[in-house]
Amino acid sequence: MPFRRWWITLLLLVPLSAQAFDLDDLQRQLAATPSLAGSFEQQRELADLDSSLSSQGTFLFERGKRVVWQLEQPVEERIELTPQAITDGSGENAPPGGEQVAQLFLQLLEGDWQALESRFTLALSGDRDDWQVALTPKEAALRERIAEIHLRGSDTIDHLDMRTPDGDRLKVRLFDQHPLNDS
Amino acid sequence: MTDRGYRWLGWLWLASLALCALWLGWMLRQGLPADTDLTALLPADRQAPLVEKADRELGRGFENRFLLLLGDDERVPTTQALGRSLQRLVDEGQLAGVDWRELDLADADPHGWMGQWRYRLLTPQWQQAIDTDGGSTLVEPALRRLFSPTARPEPVADPFGLLDAWLSRLPRSPIGAADGLLTLDAEGRQWSVLIGELKGSPYDLPMQNALHSALERFQQQHPDAELLRSGLVFHAAAGARQAKREMSTIGAASLLGVLLVIGFVFRSPRVLLQLMVPLLAGSLFALTLTLGIFGRLHLLTLAFGASLIGIAVDYVLHLQCDRVIDGRQFRLRRLMPSLTLGLISSVIAYVAQALTPMPGLRQMAAFAAFGLIGAWLTVVLWLPRFTLHASPFTARLATRWWRLCQPRWRLSPWLALAGALVLATFCGLRLTSDDSLELLNPSPAALMQDEQRVQQLLDRDTGSRYFLVRAADTQSLLTRLDMLDGSLDRAIADGLQVEYQSLAGSVPTMAEQQANLARVRKLYGAPLDALVERAGLPATVADEARARLQQAPPLTLAEWLETPLGSLQQRLWLGKTDDGGVAATVVISGARDARTDATLSTLADSPPKVEYSDRVSRIGGLLGELRRHTALWVAAAMALMTLALLWRYRGRAWRVVVPPFGATLIVLTAFAVGGVPLNIFNQLGLLLILGIGLDAGIFNVEHARKPAAWLAITLSTLTSLLAFGMLAFSATPALHYLGLTCLIGLASVWALVPWVRPEAGHSTPRRESEHV
Repeated sequence: MPFRRWWITLLLLVPLSAQAFDLDDLQRQLAATPSLAGSFEQQRELADLDSSLSSQGTFLFERGKRVVWQLEQPVEERIELTPQAITDGSGENAPPGGEQVAQLFLQLLEGDWQALESRFTLALSGDRDDWQVALTPKEAALRERIAEIHLRGSDTIDHLDMRTPDGDRLKVRLFDQHPLNDS
Repeated sequence: MTDRGYRWLGWLWLASLALCALWLGWMLRQGLPADTDLTALLPADRQAPLVEKADRELGRGFENRFLLLLGDDERVPTTQALGRSLQRLVDEGQLAGVDWRELDLADADPHGWMGQWRYRLLTPQWQQAIDTDGGSTLVEPALRRLFSPTARPEPVADPFGLLDAWLSRLPRSPIGAADGLLTLDAEGRQWSVLIGELKGSPYDLPMQNALHSALERFQQQHPDAELLRSGLVFHAAAGARQAKREMSTIGAASLLGVLLVIGFVFRSPRVLLQLMVPLLAGSLFALTLTLGIFGRLHLLTLAFGASLIGIAVDYVLHLQCDRVIDGRQFRLRRLMPSLTLGLISSVIAYVAQALTPMPGLRQMAAFAAFGLIGAWLTVVLWLPRFTLHASPFTARLATRWWRLCQPRWRLSPWLALAGALVLATFCGLRLTSDDSLELLNPSPAALMQDEQRVQQLLDRDTGSRYFLVRAADTQSLLTRLDMLDGSLDRAIADGLQVEYQSLAGSVPTMAEQQANLARVRKLYGAPLDALVERAGLPATVADEARARLQQAPPLTLAEWLETPLGSLQQRLWLGKTDDGGVAATVVISGARDARTDATLSTLADSPPKVEYSDRVSRIGGLLGELRRHTALWVAAAMALMTLALLWRYRGRAWRVVVPPFGATLIVLTAFAVGGVPLNIFNQLGLLLILGIGLDAGIFNVEHARKPAAWLAITLSTLTSLLAFGMLAFSATPALHYLGLTCLIGLASVWALVPWVRPEAGHSTPRRESEHV
């Protein structure tokens, strides 16, 4: 029974919180929710622009399988990201390099630290109820595209904040998140 | 000639050889200027030196680089191990560089350096969309793109994403990045890609050895890893290793065989040494003069030329057999006519070849002719002056062998003619020829499979088929390329199974770039306003975007080739031609069959008239030309020789020509029966058969009653059989065919000689040998 397992996992995690909270703990904590759905608000601040691009919609997340990003405002668009491919509503080709961005996005939402660690230096702070992970690229080539990424959350990831060296910034807020039991 | 005059000539010859040695030493002070590239043997394609340039440009990557694909369950650590061991080779100075980490190939973001040109570059779909309704259908996709979490929107510089649309159309390298490694995703598996850059020639032996042992060590430590190799260096290394292996098996067996035979017959190590002296002197003479005349030497010239000098063994053996058996009665004068005729007939055959327009044949013929002359002079001028230990065993052996080989009946000229006609007819009907490039390819099957897998996984072409397009200047070249691309697109839509790479796909003509800019101006009207409004952006964004169009420089071909993406297409650009124009290639990959070839040739003939070149079939054609030329000139030489022989021998001439011509026919018939196609290499073998067969025929007739002559003929065919016939067991196709020809041909020469020996008549061999 999934509901009972959920509680047992939580109970098991309680004594651990007394000790130092590390990335492995965080990964286990996130893995406890294999799939979830919720809403998002995305805000993109562009350096050469006074205003920002804001959008909102809903999302569906199945760990290890896919992320469905359903844009509702100001335009309707369904984007599905899987470890293999990125497909959008029109089935159009992703721009060059798009796959890598999609892969990174997926790894961030999964909290797949092992994969991320090969390219980023990770720094965890806070405790299990309010944690923050800061990611800085290790290699110069990646630093040209990404300055810094911040993740914040509790049982789930609630905030994603990505800055590029030229001053652009992507902020994503995930809210109304609820686990899906049918998986 | 007086004895003093003879001695004087001997010293003169020795002095010339010493001069040769000095000259050669001076020419070789910087190593042997040798060509290894096979195309250097073929005539420079006078009509199209540009084709050769195109071949070189397109083949460069294969020559100067190698590529490894590594598949393993533990991919990351395994690749790191291999990458580090290759990096060590770079540190040791064996390789120029090796790329295997993600960042090794990370070009700067194309958005950075392509951005300024984007307003003049439109894909056909976008052109059509704007032409139809001003581009209003492009607003919705642009809006989606602006808000996608994975896109990188640039509302001011490029609100519609012109550049991304353009870039996604360019051919992209299948090599990507994963886990920090250069990675190829193919056939449901991730392969690590390691690209090595050579410092110098792929034939450099120390580098080959270092690379080979590094890879061997890696495979021993990681037996489960699958490693695929591609690059000329691996084929060159495999060839070198095979040559070394065969040198120690086939070569050693040949040498041992020759030593045993000569040792058995003459019972003296000195004869062996004296056998080598004329060959070495001939080679020295040939190498010096050929190098002096041609400036360079092809390795194949050296190999085949040195083989042809082997004919000179005849002169040595005839002289030595005579000396041993006649003892004090030996007179050089008695042997001179046959020795001279033997030399003249062989040299005629080579001089005929030296007149052909094929530089490869000319070199080889000059080398062989000089070698024979040098060896002959040494034999005649110096060999009789060396003391010879004559074992009575040799004379006894000669007599016994002579009696043993008396045929029961003899061939009549009419029977010989009839036989020749039958064999010739059969050959004419059944003999096939093969000029395929594979003959030149000594690579083992496993390496060829690796090569094919890599090409297939990478979806890469070897650049062997292409259209050659010329024009007066760059703009008209682009126009012509564009027209060709159009015809190709239509043919592909009609079912032609190929892909192509063309510079026109990357750089539109100036006229089209101008038209594109006009279209973008249109798109930046109402559609842009709509986009900005629906995105919730201030209206000033649209104005700022429009301001960018003021500075929209055109993309030139030169600028494109300078960019990281353009440098991948550098090989398509041939630059200025000799006639002041410019030229480029359009490389074809995909299906390879007769129908595709026919379609491509038809395309080349229709406007804009271009040249279609298939390197594989072109080199095959050149090899065929080389083969037909050899055959033609050899036939002419044979006719000439027959005339010369008729003049001296009259009615007995047929007895002289039966061994060489008969053996040639037997070899050809054997090939016809066995289904072995005729190629340039077994034809070169036939040259050797002709030389040795002719010598045998001449001595057989001139010294019909001398057991010494028959012993010498036997020894010369046997030693040549051991030296060249053994090559039939070589795994290198070229050597195998040469050897096979020699094996059958030399055995036939030897078998034919007794049947055409003139009747003993009044004098018996026994009486002649009583002098001993």
